[in-house]
Amino acid sequence: MSDTAVGSQALDVDDLEDLFENAPCGYASTLPNGRISKVNHTLAIWLGHPAEQIVGRRFLDFLNIAGKIYYETHFAPMLRMQGFFNEVALDLRRADGTMVPVLVNAVVRKDAVGGVRFIRITVFNASDRRRYEREMLEARRVAERATVALQDLNLTLEARVAERARALDRAWRLSPDLLAIADAQGTLLAVNAAWTDLLGWEASDLVGHGFAGFTHPDDLEPTRAALGRIMTAPLVEPYEYRLRHVDGTYRQFAWTGAFEDGQIYATGRHTTVEHEQAAALVQAEEALRQSQKLEAVGQLTGGVAHDFNNLLTIIRSSVDFLRRPDLPEDRRIRYMDAVSDTVDRAAKLTGQLLAFARRQTLKPEVFNVGERLHDVADMLDTVTGARIHVVIEIPDEPCFVMADVSQFETSLVNMAVNARDAMDGEGTLRLRLDHTGTLPPIRGHAAAPGRFACVSLTDTGTGIAPDQVARIFEPFFTTKEVGKGTGLGLSQVFGFAKQSGGDVEVESVLDRGTTFTLYLPQIDAGMSERPATARDGEDFPMGDGQCVLIVEDNVEVGRFATQILEDIGYRTTWAANAEEALEKLGADGAGFDVVFSDVVMPGMGGIALAKILQRRIPDLPILLASGYSHVLSQDGLHGFELLHKPYSADQLGRILGKVVPRSQD
Amino acid sequence: MVFAHGFGCDQNMWRFVAPAFEESHRTIVFDHIGAGGSDLTAYDADKYASLDGYADDVVELCRGLSVTGGVFVGHSVSAMIGILAAKKAPELFESLVLVCPSPRYLDDYGYVGGFTRPQVEELLEFLDTNHMGWSQAMAPVIMGNADRPELGEELTNSFCRTDPDIARRFARATFLADNRADLAGVTARCLVIQSSEDVIAPQEVGDYVHRHLANSELVLLDATGHCPNLSAPEETIQAIATFLRGPGGE
Repeated sequence: MSDTAVGSQALDVDDLEDLFENAPCGYASTLPNGRISKVNHTLAIWLGHPAEQIVGRRFLDFLNIAGKIYYETHFAPMLRMQGFFNEVALDLRRADGTMVPVLVNAVVRKDAVGGVRFIRITVFNASDRRRYEREMLEARRVAERATVALQDLNLTLEARVAERARALDRAWRLSPDLLAIADAQGTLLAVNAAWTDLLGWEASDLVGHGFAGFTHPDDLEPTRAALGRIMTAPLVEPYEYRLRHVDGTYRQFAWTGAFEDGQIYATGRHTTVEHEQAAALVQAEEALRQSQKLEAVGQLTGGVAHDFNNLLTIIRSSVDFLRRPDLPEDRRIRYMDAVSDTVDRAAKLTGQLLAFARRQTLKPEVFNVGERLHDVADMLDTVTGARIHVVIEIPDEPCFVMADVSQFETSLVNMAVNARDAMDGEGTLRLRLDHTGTLPPIRGHAAAPGRFACVSLTDTGTGIAPDQVARIFEPFFTTKEVGKGTGLGLSQVFGFAKQSGGDVEVESVLDRGTTFTLYLPQIDAGMSERPATARDGEDFPMGDGQCVLIVEDNVEVGRFATQILEDIGYRTTWAANAEEALEKLGADGAGFDVVFSDVVMPGMGGIALAKILQRRIPDLPILLASGYSHVLSQDGLHGFELLHKPYSADQLGRILGKVVPRSQD
Repeated sequence: MVFAHGFGCDQNMWRFVAPAFEESHRTIVFDHIGAGGSDLTAYDADKYASLDGYADDVVELCRGLSVTGGVFVGHSVSAMIGILAAKKAPELFESLVLVCPSPRYLDDYGYVGGFTRPQVEELLEFLDTNHMGWSQAMAPVIMGNADRPELGEELTNSFCRTDPDIARRFARATFLADNRADLAGVTARCLVIQSSEDVIAPQEVGDYVHRHLANSELVLLDATGHCPNLSAPEETIQAIATFLRGPGGE
């Protein structure tokens, strides 16, 4: 106990003085008049003044102006009223002008009677705390600014949302397409104004009703199916169906849409006009093809006329010989054969010309390229003329393609005409089929896989200048003088090749010649091989007294037919038109075994007659004859047997033998 | 007799002075809006952007209390509020006691207010940032004042309590005000109490006020600082009482 007491005593003397002077806080005492009477070393160091220069001055002399005011308006009044004042944040001005942030506590020390002895001021260095406060304040300001910014942003967003909503509303109102929201059952929940514009229905007619009530009955099932599909995947590929206008007519719309949040959102584009335009375009394209073909027909006609004259000359001179009474039998037979053969050739020519000129829609079919090349080769001869030697190289193996036969033949004629003109009517045209080829890259288009039929026509003409090669397939491009060509020929070849999945290539060397190669994709089918036609000269069953009703408006032809039929064993009755034929046949056709009728006649015509008879007397066979194949290509044969004019006695006898019932022996 | 407190405190400012006049006068002490026990919800930033709004409150208060021919005692900024109120309603006050008044704190051409504009801006900045270090630190100090329960109780409720936000605006209205022109035409008798070494209202300002108030007296106290009503209540009471006894009364 005594040791401690002695130690404490020692502390009081020296250490208390040291503690006062060097404590980690500043001390100052002021007199009641505010003058500083004592200051410790620590505060003197902070203020940068020697202690003796601080004594005698007021505490507020070391404050900045704000601190002075604060001291006077807050600090001093509080100190006076409550006797102490703590934790006041002030800045002390140092001798060098810099500031020390401090926290100040003050307490009033009074004497025994309550008078103020002195005021003890304690100063803590608050640099860290003030920095922390500033950071807090700055953080709060940032937060306030952020709040304001957030409020602004919210307002902006609200404005944007409102603006967006207005924009969407405008888009909804002004859309030229049908817009619809429907529930999962297809009941319309909302429609836009386009419904009224395009279909005449008011929104009140539509909302709450199912789409089915406005759908064309024929489209209902596929439309329901499309609606089912939309539930699982957005309808991206437009689906088209017809909706009923308020006037009862139907309009076509192409729909896309999606099922989201339990509702169907769909947009329908009016396509009725597009379909009309598409149809008009198809017609225009068909007209173009027809004119391209007529161009080729025009090219053919000259050659055919020339050949016809030759054939007629043979027939004329043969007939002249046959008139001679002293003609030996072998000569007579030779001239008769010559006439018959020549007529066959003439018939083949006209047949080809008519088939070629036939108006028909584009109809791809499977055919053997080699066979068709054979068939048109004679025609190409007439196109090119006698001084051009046509060489044909066709492999024995069949080579099938899927294309429009008429267009194929047209393209061959066009290329042949081009070759003829390039050779100025004299040279060699090599027509070649390669069935082992492939499609090479042409004019920037990549090569295509698979086998192609390569039909090439090589001439020995003048060739095409390199700068013109690129243009020769353009419609109406021509190097020919006026009246020699329209420029449609090669563009037809190009169009046909592209439509058929192939291409056409041209290789040319000036003064050496040009090769056009038509590439068509090969297919494997062997299905469409034409049935072999019976050849003349083979035996056919003779008539057995059966009665043939001949219906023919041309007296000469009628007489000729009567002669032939009686020669081969038939009995005949002749009617000059269909009406007369019906009269002769009566209700049951009694007495007649077969009707042989021309197709094109004044009045009802052969086909109408055949249809009536088919209904009235189903068992009565009917054989039609026509030189106008387009009639039958348009209306079809309706199951009737057809004999092409001009026909031979052989052909007539053979086909009658097929259709006329034999008497049961 | 109406006592109005200045910027920074509330009606407690008058706790050592007002009781001295209770025998001779009906005394009224009140808190300006934003101070003490005032209703903070009545604060209207536009109305109180200038001292006029505070003066209107004084007029309304005094009329409500049927004050006529009374004495208005205003400290600091409330001295000027009293001038404005007296001009709005001259019948209210026969006498004005202006403790440490200043019609304009900013220096001006030919006028010493005591402050430059940067200094006032520095003050306003200080008040903007300091309330957290003071007001918030104050509360626990006051609350924990267990050894002086009677004082602590009072402080806890309303002693010098100010709303920081309103105080900042009040400071702006106070230190940026220029009411020099309002000094002219005041009909009431005026006492200008000037204390020594007042950094807020220096001697030159007290002289200016005295010169421009037609019917005024000036008393220079021995007391130092801006709050003689607190630091030297006896001397302050003496000056007021002398003035109220009238010219030649002593």
